[in-house]
Amino acid sequence: MGEVNKSRRLFLTALGTTVVGIGIGYAIGYLSKPAEMVERTITSTVTKTVTATPGVTPPPVGLSGAATRALEGVRDLLNRGVIKPGTTIKILHVAGSRAQLERAIELWGQYVPEVNVELITLGQEPDVYTKAMAEAVTKAGTFDIVTIFSTWLGDIVEAGLAKSLDEYYVKYDPEYTGPCAPIEPLGSYVTIYKGKRYSVVLDSDVFTLSYRKDLIENPTYKNEFRAQYGKDLKVPDTWEDLIDMAEFFYNKNLTAPSGGRVYGAYFYAEPAFAAYITWLNIFIEAGGIPFDLETMDPKVDTPEGRYAFDIMLGLRPYMPPEAITAGWADLYDKFIKGETVFTAAWPSLTKEAMRPTSLVKDVAGSALLPGVIVNGKLVRAAPNPVNWVGVISNYSKYPELSYLFLQFATAPDIGLDVILSGVILDLFRECWFKDPAYRPKSAEGYGEEFIDVYMESLRISFPDILIRGGPEYLSKLTTEVNSVMAGIKDPEVALNDVSAEWDSITKKYGVDTQLEAWRGLAQLFPDDVKDVWRAKGYMK
Amino acid sequence: MKFHGTRVLLSALKYITIGVFILWVLIPVAWVVSLAFKPYAEWRVSYFVPKNFTWNNFIVLFKSEAFIGIMGATAIVEPVTKPLINSLVVTSLSTIMAVMIGFFTAYGASRYNTPGPFGLFFTLLTRMLPPATFVTPIMVYYSNLKLLDTHFSLIILYSAVTVTYGIWILKGFIDAIPIEWEEAAMLEGATPIKTLFKVVLPIARPGLVVAGLFIFLLTWTELLFALVLTNVYAVTLPVHISKYVGAVGQLYGPQAALALIGSVIPIAIGYAIQKHLVTGFTFGMVRG
Amino acid sequence: MPEKPPREIKYLATLPVNILLNAVLIIPFAIMIYLAFLKWSPAMGMNWWEAPITGLTNFARALGDARFITALSRTTIYTVSVVTIEFFLGLALAYIMLGDFVGKKAAIAITIYPLMLPPVVVATIFYLMFQSYGPVNNLFLRAIIGEDALRIYWFLKPDTAFITLLIADIWQWTPFMFLIMYSALSAVPKRLVEAAEVLGASSFTIFWKVRLPLIKPLIIVALVLRGLEAFKMFDYAFIMTGGGPGTTTETVSMYIYRTAILYTDISYAAAMSLMILAMIIVVVRAFIWYFFEKGR
Repeated sequence: MGEVNKSRRLFLTALGTTVVGIGIGYAIGYLSKPAEMVERTITSTVTKTVTATPGVTPPPVGLSGAATRALEGVRDLLNRGVIKPGTTIKILHVAGSRAQLERAIELWGQYVPEVNVELITLGQEPDVYTKAMAEAVTKAGTFDIVTIFSTWLGDIVEAGLAKSLDEYYVKYDPEYTGPCAPIEPLGSYVTIYKGKRYSVVLDSDVFTLSYRKDLIENPTYKNEFRAQYGKDLKVPDTWEDLIDMAEFFYNKNLTAPSGGRVYGAYFYAEPAFAAYITWLNIFIEAGGIPFDLETMDPKVDTPEGRYAFDIMLGLRPYMPPEAITAGWADLYDKFIKGETVFTAAWPSLTKEAMRPTSLVKDVAGSALLPGVIVNGKLVRAAPNPVNWVGVISNYSKYPELSYLFLQFATAPDIGLDVILSGVILDLFRECWFKDPAYRPKSAEGYGEEFIDVYMESLRISFPDILIRGGPEYLSKLTTEVNSVMAGIKDPEVALNDVSAEWDSITKKYGVDTQLEAWRGLAQLFPDDVKDVWRAKGYMK
Repeated sequence: MKFHGTRVLLSALKYITIGVFILWVLIPVAWVVSLAFKPYAEWRVSYFVPKNFTWNNFIVLFKSEAFIGIMGATAIVEPVTKPLINSLVVTSLSTIMAVMIGFFTAYGASRYNTPGPFGLFFTLLTRMLPPATFVTPIMVYYSNLKLLDTHFSLIILYSAVTVTYGIWILKGFIDAIPIEWEEAAMLEGATPIKTLFKVVLPIARPGLVVAGLFIFLLTWTELLFALVLTNVYAVTLPVHISKYVGAVGQLYGPQAALALIGSVIPIAIGYAIQKHLVTGFTFGMVRG
Repeated sequence: MPEKPPREIKYLATLPVNILLNAVLIIPFAIMIYLAFLKWSPAMGMNWWEAPITGLTNFARALGDARFITALSRTTIYTVSVVTIEFFLGLALAYIMLGDFVGKKAAIAITIYPLMLPPVVVATIFYLMFQSYGPVNNLFLRAIIGEDALRIYWFLKPDTAFITLLIADIWQWTPFMFLIMYSALSAVPKRLVEAAEVLGASSFTIFWKVRLPLIKPLIIVALVLRGLEAFKMFDYAFIMTGGGPGTTTETVSMYIYRTAILYTDISYAAAMSLMILAMIIVVVRAFIWYFFEKGR
């Protein structure tokens, strides 16, 4: 009997040890929280002598209308007791935008020290998508604002996470009309879904053509090219021209400043995410329309779709194989090392090429992407893949306050300051390109030549397929484009497969609702593209 | 004479083989080391020795603001000290738990066939599922329990998914321990529990060590669940490594540097426990 | 030993593990099973408990999904290849390193180092090394086969891309096999070995007839555990090839990941996972029954 008691005790001890072990873990987790809370909150340094008493603070002087209205809105919320001092709002974002968001928070703190803003920083973009969609399911209130890619807008809205912002736009006027508005059509197509506003523009991400000016302007090469091809060596107007120039330089077997070989061109064709960009660019310029506006049938297995593949396959011999196998960053790396003559990417490529350590820092040129001649007219369109926008969570306790922070952070004056503090968020307001008060700063950050080119690119830019299922539509397109470029599939078969896959995605969500979203989105495409669609009968 | 010659030949062969394998292991390791000391321009090259040796990649782990403006760098992330500590706490505690529970379960399974042939197999289930689908249900479950972003949630999750390693590895070891030892001990009046702790445990030590080391390594390097279940407070080392992304893609230098730092603790453990890998007792021995 | 365990042992051997697994995993697992029978994705805007139950449609869809089936067969080939190679390599190494020799502690520490690095880091390293500008082509292969080496683009062709994944896995996980084999082999009683040697048995016979049978249980354990992990391989494919070119190196785990996370088709992903689970259960059960229980 005593023995049984002893074993029971031993057993209980063992059990107790396990429980204690668990308890220790829990205690550590619990204890470490408050300590971290203090560290992590980006509290602001009040550099002005502004007293923190609500209602008594003098109104801000000299700020733009949008910023002033935002601050006044916050004051009002504080005065009415809707928000208490010490409230914290949380922003879920990706590490690359941290410098810029921290700058926004710093400026915010100069005027609104009562409201804290906390950053939840994630490493990779897909993690933001995962966490946002998880929040849509768990509704836990983990964050108030989340920065998302425009591509995800449809998914995020349909999942019920994004709060509709029309009432705030009307009430506070973020200056989306007038000389300082975000350049259209971008301002509309990244914020409007099924006719309503769901996001705030934080960034623009339109592609431009980057090229090695020293090679294009070299007189010897100009003569040789003219002799060989019968036309001028200059920034190409059409993709066919670009192919010729790429061939010319590839055959010259030049050595880049890095010691590597110079390739004629580098356009995205890689399998993980970016291959669709190049294809879609050419497809849209050729007058292709992704979905039929009456039936939502995919319309990629068309002459325009095949033409896009013709061009891409025409470029292939003069591109490095990494264009087909390596990640998106490899394009940047090769251009910065001077190993590519023509390439296209986001504005960050231009900025990186300008750094002192870049091997093309004085010879990198910017231009509009080549276009396609349709009905005798040159049509240019620039893709706008994965554009950052700010969305307010439907499960946030402070939606209005969160919106006001976004309006403040993207206002004409504050917004430019924020953008110039970092890398991944780029210019989007028209006055930042034209207004003498702002232009010098933009030019300093991006280069004079670039900002003129970029402004034009914005005007001819078109959105990702950002209706619901956007990431899936584009991912399937990417793998098929990559298969063709890798020589595994015939273009015809690939286009067929894309059609079939897109169709099944559409059916998964329901043709009617997808059609509604697509119709809305198609209206927001740039005018040049819509004109071609009308000419071809794709659009009424 | 011939016997001795063969001996020498075999011995030489042995050293050569070991040497070749060590080389095979070391080459990618050398690449990690070289990346950790290379600046951006040298991350995508073919040579090992950096032409412009730099400590920047390590500095950036602790002060990422110092890195801004250098090619490729844009991201500001928190210093690596917290994730290191988090990883240490979470991994150690969950390893101990998994090994202990594994040991008890393995003993019962080996000697008495608890919890039955199907029950034991069931524990393997935890390793059979591709984690991707499991992530959303876990998220839903934990968030309802308000357990998101806590050390506790990670500890019990990791224990739960690695305990099966403990069970099966230890069962393998315990299976091979002759029952006679325990029978003898119990004949001499020891309780089953005491026998477990005083007789079986010491003999099974190499099993505990192998299982413990492997569970430690699995947990130390686990990424997916940590990514989804933590935000700010309980961020672990692998999640932190994934944060070093700049305007030109992954920042290979800092990632390599952090991987090196992160491997110091496991390798120290691996080095130290080696004598425990070999047991004083052996399989199949009956008497003496 | 008595057939029935003493009560304390029974509790110790079943309660903790039951509590742990049930508290942590049962409910999410149940949720996952339920999801597989739904037609639901978060982007549909409704809660998962309100979504319509569609029965077996997801499963039927998986059976007809070419991408899924190809990924399955590809992953199986991958698993069998790496586990076999790692097993033989690990066993051979463990055997060779059994006795004492100069620098043994350091040698073993280095041998198991690959396990210390997160798989994502290993994947990144091999990604960089196998690029056309990396050392594999420019240093090693060039020394062996000359300038031709520079024209090999590992990630461009499905076969060579697949090989890079095999190499990464073998590099990282052979030490796992080594560890278990080493620990197991060193527990073989010296007396038995010496007795056999005295009787004139060759090293090979000793290995085959004395050591191997004694460590068989652990071999099985090692094979099963490593097999399960290898089948779930995700990191190498994701980082090194992106599943490419096209989807020719997409493992089944990666396809499920994309389906669940990128396409938010969680129900379908759950269904695929369950099907894989069922298959694996059958295979492993058969494997264990054959080697463990038939022997008895």
